[in-house]
Amino acid sequence: MTMKKLYKVFRQGLIFENPLLMLMIGLCSAIAVTTSVSNGIGMGLAMTFVLLFSEVIISLFRKLIPSAIRIPVFIIVIAAFTTMVDLVMKAYFPDLSKSMGVFIPLIVVNCIIMGRVEAFASKQNLVSVIADSLGMGLGYTWVLIGLAAVRELLGNGTLAGIQIMPSSYQPILFFILPPGGFFVFSLFIAFNIWLKKKMEASQRTKELAAKKEAA
Amino acid sequence: MKKDMVKLGITLALFASVACACLAVVYAFTKENIEMQAEKQFNASMQELFPQANAFDKIQDLASSDPNIKFETAYEVKNGTIPLGLAIKAAGPSYGGTATLLVAVDLHRSIAGVEVMELKDTPGLGMNASNPSYYVDKAKKTTFVGQFAGKFLTDPFEVKKDVVAITAATITSRSLTKIIKAASDAAIAYMDQKMAAPPADSNASQQQNSQPQGIQPKAGGK
Repeated sequence: MTMKKLYKVFRQGLIFENPLLMLMIGLCSAIAVTTSVSNGIGMGLAMTFVLLFSEVIISLFRKLIPSAIRIPVFIIVIAAFTTMVDLVMKAYFPDLSKSMGVFIPLIVVNCIIMGRVEAFASKQNLVSVIADSLGMGLGYTWVLIGLAAVRELLGNGTLAGIQIMPSSYQPILFFILPPGGFFVFSLFIAFNIWLKKKMEASQRTKELAAKKEAA
Repeated sequence: MKKDMVKLGITLALFASVACACLAVVYAFTKENIEMQAEKQFNASMQELFPQANAFDKIQDLASSDPNIKFETAYEVKNGTIPLGLAIKAAGPSYGGTATLLVAVDLHRSIAGVEVMELKDTPGLGMNASNPSYYVDKAKKTTFVGQFAGKFLTDPFEVKKDVVAITAATITSRSLTKIIKAASDAAIAYMDQKMAAPPADSNASQQQNSQPQGIQPKAGGK
């Protein structure tokens, strides 16, 4: 596995196969927690942690897991790591844990983790699994932070709890509520598709130029 | 086929027990800290509500008038042996799930203060109930729970009559008010039963001297 290939796997999760914007899985918790930037960061990191360790463990033991009971085994592994995150958060970041409420335990049933474990980690070796989980995790995190930043700024006038808008600004509550979440989310999808198309086009022209030179 | 099933069962059990053991270790590590955090929060709220308190006697038999509202813990708050009032941790249904409030009642049968312990609600709307800079009365800087301080237990506790609702969060306002009302009713019943004895009255008059620093500023929101 060369560095270049690893980078390609890693990059997939950020834009081309972004779990939220392209694969469109795990959306409910993403819309629900992105009412403030600190929530977005916390949820993104918790998710990345669970994703990384679940994928690593399952990749390591993939030959020992009989395919007939792979789903229950996956769930046990994911649930164990999620509970760990939940306990650690409650012990050391009580405020964050409080504001995320039930969404941390619900990481267990997040389709992103289940999907990646089933489609990727149970078939690939350790190194590419690490690249994949980090790519997917960061892809998830940047979208959460972006969504939360727009929603918190417009809907509450703050960023990460710090007042940004002038006090005369009347917050647009719409953005904090779920419909506003979907609205901002759809803009993010559009932006991501535009970005993807642009990157693909530039890659194609590069390839064409390389071919011409070779000829 | 049967052999297969046993083998699969054992494999699954093995995975489960390893995961279990890992969790047990993490749990043991974090347990102390989690309990400490809960206690810290509780003590901080108590300190806010009863600045002179240093002893808490647990009350066991406190009945709720509303079947949906439960009292998790209740304390008779004392300074040494002098009773100061009651503190009731009451949980009930609200807009976004269960809400937990700490309701403090003083010996004058009025609310000494209310603290939000746990609340899940819409940010910017119902969540304003626990926002220290959201005022239902902007001129007097009274927060939603702050307005209860100084209210008598026998007051009607009705939103839009004697309780100001949070803008665009009427359900939350009503639910929280209901929880506070249930706690007050229980407090009246308890005081009628156990604290009506004359010594309590003489203590109450002693109490009055020390009160201005502790409870008076809060009662300003009435």
